[in-house]
Amino acid sequence: MEKIDENITEDTIEDVVIALQKPSLEQKALKKSKNTAMVNNIITAVLGIVALFYVYPIFMIIINSLKQESAISTNTAFNLPTAATFAGLANYVHGVTQMDFLSSFGYSLFITISSVVLIILCCSMCAWYISRVDSVLSKVMYYLCIFSMVVPFQMVMFTLAKTADTLKLNTPFNICIIYLGFGAGLAVFMFTGFMKSMPIEVEEAAMIDGYSPLQMFFKVVMPITKPTTISTAILETMWVWNDYLLPTLVLDIKKYRTIPMDIQYFRGSYGSVQMAPMMACIVITIIPVILLYLFCQKYIIEGVVAGAVKG
Amino acid sequence: MKKKLISILMSTAMISSILTGCGSSTSASGTAAANTEAGNASETSETADAGAGKVYYLNFKPEADEAWQKLAKEYTEETGVPVTVVTAASGEYETTLQSEMAKSDAPTLFQVNGPVGLKNWADYCYDLSDSEIYKNLTSEDYALKNEDGGVAGVAYVIESYGIITNKALLEKAGYSTDDIKSFADLKKVAEDITARKDELGFAAFASTGMDSSSDWRFKTHLANLPIYFEYQDDGITSTEAIKGTYLDNYKNIFDLYINNSTCEPKELSAKTADDARNEFLDGKAVFYQNGSWEYSSLSEKYSDDELAMLPIYIGVGDEAKQGLCTGTENYWCVNAEASEDDINATLAFMNWCVTSDAGTKSMANDMGFTIPFKTAQESPNVFVQQDQANTEAGLTPVSWNFTTMPSEEWKNNLGSALTAYAAGTGSWDDVKAAFVDNWATEYSLANE
Amino acid sequence: MEKSVRRYWPIFVLPTLIAFTIGFLWPFVWGIYLSFCKFQTVNKVKFIGASNYLRVFSDNSFIHAFGFTALFTVVSTLTINILAFFIAMLLTRRIKGTNIFRTVFFMPNLIGGIVLGYIWQILLDCLLSMWGKPLLALDAKAGFMGLLILMSWQQIGYMMIIYIAGLQNVSPDLVEAAEIDGATPWQILTKVKIPMVMPSITICTFLTLTNSFKLFDQNLSLTGGEPAKASQMLALNIYETYYGRSGAQWKGIGQAKAVVFFLLVVVISLIQLRATRSKEVQA
Repeated sequence: MEKIDENITEDTIEDVVIALQKPSLEQKALKKSKNTAMVNNIITAVLGIVALFYVYPIFMIIINSLKQESAISTNTAFNLPTAATFAGLANYVHGVTQMDFLSSFGYSLFITISSVVLIILCCSMCAWYISRVDSVLSKVMYYLCIFSMVVPFQMVMFTLAKTADTLKLNTPFNICIIYLGFGAGLAVFMFTGFMKSMPIEVEEAAMIDGYSPLQMFFKVVMPITKPTTISTAILETMWVWNDYLLPTLVLDIKKYRTIPMDIQYFRGSYGSVQMAPMMACIVITIIPVILLYLFCQKYIIEGVVAGAVKG
Repeated sequence: MKKKLISILMSTAMISSILTGCGSSTSASGTAAANTEAGNASETSETADAGAGKVYYLNFKPEADEAWQKLAKEYTEETGVPVTVVTAASGEYETTLQSEMAKSDAPTLFQVNGPVGLKNWADYCYDLSDSEIYKNLTSEDYALKNEDGGVAGVAYVIESYGIITNKALLEKAGYSTDDIKSFADLKKVAEDITARKDELGFAAFASTGMDSSSDWRFKTHLANLPIYFEYQDDGITSTEAIKGTYLDNYKNIFDLYINNSTCEPKELSAKTADDARNEFLDGKAVFYQNGSWEYSSLSEKYSDDELAMLPIYIGVGDEAKQGLCTGTENYWCVNAEASEDDINATLAFMNWCVTSDAGTKSMANDMGFTIPFKTAQESPNVFVQQDQANTEAGLTPVSWNFTTMPSEEWKNNLGSALTAYAAGTGSWDDVKAAFVDNWATEYSLANE
Repeated sequence: MEKSVRRYWPIFVLPTLIAFTIGFLWPFVWGIYLSFCKFQTVNKVKFIGASNYLRVFSDNSFIHAFGFTALFTVVSTLTINILAFFIAMLLTRRIKGTNIFRTVFFMPNLIGGIVLGYIWQILLDCLLSMWGKPLLALDAKAGFMGLLILMSWQQIGYMMIIYIAGLQNVSPDLVEAAEIDGATPWQILTKVKIPMVMPSITICTFLTLTNSFKLFDQNLSLTGGEPAKASQMLALNIYETYYGRSGAQWKGIGQAKAVVFFLLVVVISLIQLRATRSKEVQA
């Protein structure tokens, strides 16, 4: 996923989220029509077929990951495995062991979690400062963040890799600082947009109760910003988890690889293009993401909406 | 005032916790990784006291990756010097080298493919004139010299390529390797096999895989032949503008490959060298153009008697005297910008590889290399032996002139043009343009 | 309150500022400087002035990549937004299975570009070879269509979600008023609904436009720019110039290309925002 840019509109997130769940009167009006039921059934059927095409590519990968390497060629990708070509879980074992896939999985997981946590924490604090303090620093930070969202990664890829290398930020354990730096724009932008619309009275009351700014931030502000936190976290997670070029250039490739790098490495790093284990690893990569999505669907979709409408 | 102080203290604590938090976990993980990488941390620390460096080898040959990893581990166990081998994906060496050389922990040992490759990295090559490994070379010819006469690289492997032949299948089709002594013979045999393809159950050539990971067999190795014969005619060893005298012969051999193959020319763009090898191993094809480096994977299935390598005849010159294509594009260079310890460690490792028993054995047996060093072991590689026998019988090996191709870009363009031609979406004129016109363009770009 | 928060800037702003400087500001400024230099690694940098920029505009592969990228951006932005809007319309009719469809259509978004590229390469190559057509790596048109299908597959779900939210925000009173005035469904769509969801359209076109224009991963894994760079987009062209070509001169040219690319992205974003913003109406 590319980083996603936002716009400012006047709506608040709550409005949209409520609107998402509340069937509108317009729909009720439509229901009145007699033909509507039949038309809707036809639409359901058509969309059902489209949905099958939508999941087919994933299904195809799973099928092929169970075939023997020699049975995979350009014109047989649609065939189901037969008794002769069925490879069972051999590709999974092979892919996982040869590429040291589990450690890549671990690195990817660690990088994603640490980066997202760091981004959320630092950027929400920064955004609160920007939205509550009217200073040159605030303005400069805010406009720099907007600016950084437009800049394509190719613009900084070489110099960023070199900077990270010089500062030794080239391991999965501290690459989160790079991600914080490059991903700050979006997060600060989203948080600032939300916080500016938050009523300041609550905070002022807390101030009178003797809260310090830090206490106030963690006890008062953070709970209110929960929706934005979730949507930002989702957007950043999708970006970091799937990112290919940044870790390829920044990480110390002698020791560490992330999942997208591993997938790319199946193309010929060991003297061969290994389609079957590659597909097995793709399946291992996709399944947890899809499971996570199915469980957190509500938040993810609300997050997307909030991230798009607000900002 | 008090609040301000607190805030500053807090911020320092926070920043330092971010930095050191990450920093400390790095060093912990760094050693953990070193443990597994180098195999033994204790020896590493012992030698670190002695001030020894470390070796980082960026390997060019994916097919030898496993053997290099094993050899590196053996060296570390023996000497305690950590050796890291990273292999670039096929066709990605230059990309990986560029990004790795920009890092502070850059490869200490890398390779260039000859004079053209050296031009880009000359500033980064340590002068090997005084090194042990240079003195061990069997001939001066295998050293890559700088313009100022310094030794920038040493060849570490001599290889041959040609048309690998499955003798048993060839016999089944009613021929023997003795029947093929020219392009006309090869064409006759191949076309006869194609005509009887269904009856015989196999094709003449394994698929001419043009996937970008594999098209080097044709855009580089096969393209060497028209270049070689043109250089021979003109008595030169490199040129700024190729004429393409023998491009028609190049077309003929390429046509022969793609039209007498296991699959439709249209599908070649997605085929890889592995597909071709698998076809050859499965007995689906008699011929398979590749080199002596394939021996280790082919010998798992075939005995030495079943394998032979024919010269690639294209119908030019004295074909009766033509040998295999033999040469090298693999020159080891030591990174001059590495620390002195690392350079010394690297030189010691290189020398160990080509002189020690374990090193030479691994290079001869596991990697199937013939190495141009006095201490080389006899290689069991049947293709290498055949090349030696050919030379003794008076055949002239075809030298590797593709190292004079002006750039990687030139090769890639030629590969794309060949792929399009094979599939029928491009014409041979495009191939000609990619070969002749683009040579001049790329040459001037590379030498401005 | 502002004053007390202001004193805490080292805690609130400094960590982000430091990381931002490391991860963005410094590399950006340095990158602009390097675009005027000749270098192989940063240890040996030679200032050569603007000649890199001249080389960028005389590089046919860059011009071609720009054309391909521009065409792809326009076509994919239209396709994705029209289809997403259409599906969003269908899904706001309270039909059966709305939630399932929403789930399914959104799913491809979660899969990374590299992985998506390989999935579709296998699938499309298989289709093409069954039809006896040249494969993806041979035909720039097939590559273009492949990228379009891939991007549509990936992005429609995301944009659909935003459009659904926008459509549900359209006041039913307005629609009813239009119906009473005798407006046809088509008029209701173009005169009432589309102007009312203009903010969503602004966002979605902005997202699809920048995503398509900056596309890299999918391009790398689906076609790799084949045949002969005919399906190479700008981001990949820059990467190949930078890391694929050997020789010291290419790094500077690659960096100059990146600066040009960056300026293009800025210009396009500004034009797009201005254009769609002007059509927005206050709800």
